[in-house]
Amino acid sequence: MPVFLFHILTGLAYGMFYFMIAASLTIILGVMNVVNLAHGAFFLIGGYITYSLVGSKVSFWLALLIAVVVMIILGIITEKVLITHVYGKEFEQVLLTFGLSFVIADTAKWIWGSESKALASPELLNFSLPFAEGLQFPVYRLSIVIVGLTIALLLWILENHTRIGAIIRAGVDDRDMVAALGINVRILFTGVFAFGVGVAGLSGALGAPLLGLYSGMDSDILVISLIVVVVGGLGSWKGSLLGAIIIGIIETLSKVYVPSLSMLIIFLIMMVVLLIRPQGLFGREVGT
Amino acid sequence: MRNTLFISTLLIALMIIGFFLLTDYGILLATEIAILAIFAMSLGLIIGYAGIISLGHAAFFGIGAYTIALLSEKMTNSYVLLITSVLLCAVIALITGAIFVRTSHFYFLMITLAFGQMVYALFFQSSWAGASDGLPVMADLNLGFGAIFNPEQYYFVMVSAFIIVYIFLRLYVHSPAGKITKGVMENEARMRSLGYNTRLYKLLTYTIAGALAGLAGSLYAFFNLFVTPDLTYWMFSGQVLIMVIIGGVGTLLGPAIGSAVYILLQNVISFYTDRWVLILGAILVTLVLVGRGGIVNWFQSLWTYLQQRRAKKHLSSTNHEIDNTYYKEDSKRGETV
Repeated sequence: MPVFLFHILTGLAYGMFYFMIAASLTIILGVMNVVNLAHGAFFLIGGYITYSLVGSKVSFWLALLIAVVVMIILGIITEKVLITHVYGKEFEQVLLTFGLSFVIADTAKWIWGSESKALASPELLNFSLPFAEGLQFPVYRLSIVIVGLTIALLLWILENHTRIGAIIRAGVDDRDMVAALGINVRILFTGVFAFGVGVAGLSGALGAPLLGLYSGMDSDILVISLIVVVVGGLGSWKGSLLGAIIIGIIETLSKVYVPSLSMLIIFLIMMVVLLIRPQGLFGREVGT
Repeated sequence: MRNTLFISTLLIALMIIGFFLLTDYGILLATEIAILAIFAMSLGLIIGYAGIISLGHAAFFGIGAYTIALLSEKMTNSYVLLITSVLLCAVIALITGAIFVRTSHFYFLMITLAFGQMVYALFFQSSWAGASDGLPVMADLNLGFGAIFNPEQYYFVMVSAFIIVYIFLRLYVHSPAGKITKGVMENEARMRSLGYNTRLYKLLTYTIAGALAGLAGSLYAFFNLFVTPDLTYWMFSGQVLIMVIIGGVGTLLGPAIGSAVYILLQNVISFYTDRWVLILGAILVTLVLVGRGGIVNWFQSLWTYLQQRRAKKHLSSTNHEIDNTYYKEDSKRGETV
């Protein structure tokens, strides 16, 4: 039983990690109506930047901060130069972000090579707590849960108690009306996209000690977070929270007990959710 | 119908001329292009005629290829292998598509991408499918006139398969079902209110596309005699999507031309650099920003432009005559008044 609980707790840590990526993806989708298929690539770059900085003797936390700032700048540039041309054009968006993910991922492969990289947990958190007989739970995983919960809390405060949150909520409901009320939607979109890419970079930095870094990771991460978004409902970060915890726990359990079928099981869960609720757990109809 | 006959005759003639003109390497490339053209046309069908974008179309290509490889250990009859493989892909497309088409556009993209990656993970992780190493194909392609070995034979078989698939798709697109599907793409609400079961037509098109992608994968398995999980990877789905975009969405031959351009570009560029994927992504981004509808549409707009110019010239000369007649009439009127 303790072993089973241990796996559940590990799954929860992975779930909170997926939540960070999926939430940023779903917020971009909800506010801007853009499926950002380059999200996994942004995640990977965030991780690689942190890895390189830590390698050149920068402390993990400073490296993480720099990575996030770089990603925010990259996000602003991407939105201003590329995404801005394809608003409202679904097909073009998909192709553009798809092409962009190829460019970013292959550039990353060029710079950092294709062999996988491991990054040690930051010293502050590099120890384990005794969990049960013979089981040690790494504190780093626990801290991921805490960071994930903090982000969820911040999103909740942002959404319900700030002016920006009110604008964003209104933007999800009726974008044209928000623009008509004199809100600068262009700046809002740039801000939301940069925020999303920043969180993707943050997840990459935090994920590097958890999962390591390897070329091809971008698509793995993208697919998992797309599944979380679909299960949770498009545009709903609360749905993503629930979806991420479900997917995280089930993925961990299936990897332990039936490793070769883990992806199949996750996919089947998505299919079952879609059969029962085609709009996802928390979703409303978007983009029909 | 007459057009179909004309284009098919032209394609067959091109196949024969190509055989005499192409070098050994050219024959090999043309064979590969023919297989990928079938694949690209199947994706072009659902994008251009049903208005749904799949990011996991390589799943069907891979399932088709793996079915051949796995079954070739047990049976050798090429027809049985091909039919089993295509039917299996059709059934999988039918079952998954039945759930996929219930959802809206964004979902469709995400779910097909997830589906493709799931199939990839399944082949990549399973020892019965050779895991990351892949599987050899044990059977030879034998269509009733001896096993096919040399490149010339492959060339004729694959290009003929491409022409047959093209004729089939052309007939389908111009059939009532094909036209209704196109109507669904253009205005789903109207078709629904006209009493059509719109999902059914989308599903039908998706199933046909899945089966044809499976056929392309099966032919590839016979051609390459080895299958790897990469055939189902999202990069491959992306590549075929790019072929469709290069050639032009909404036409049948466009994706086929796109696949030819793609393969030729890939061969030239990867000769000079390893960064083919980067260049591929850059091409895609550029095409989206400035491309306006792919090669076929460029030619079409060039054609309309030339026609318009000719019409303008014609018009200006007739205008001249009209001016003259007005003048004459005026002068006549002047006389009578």
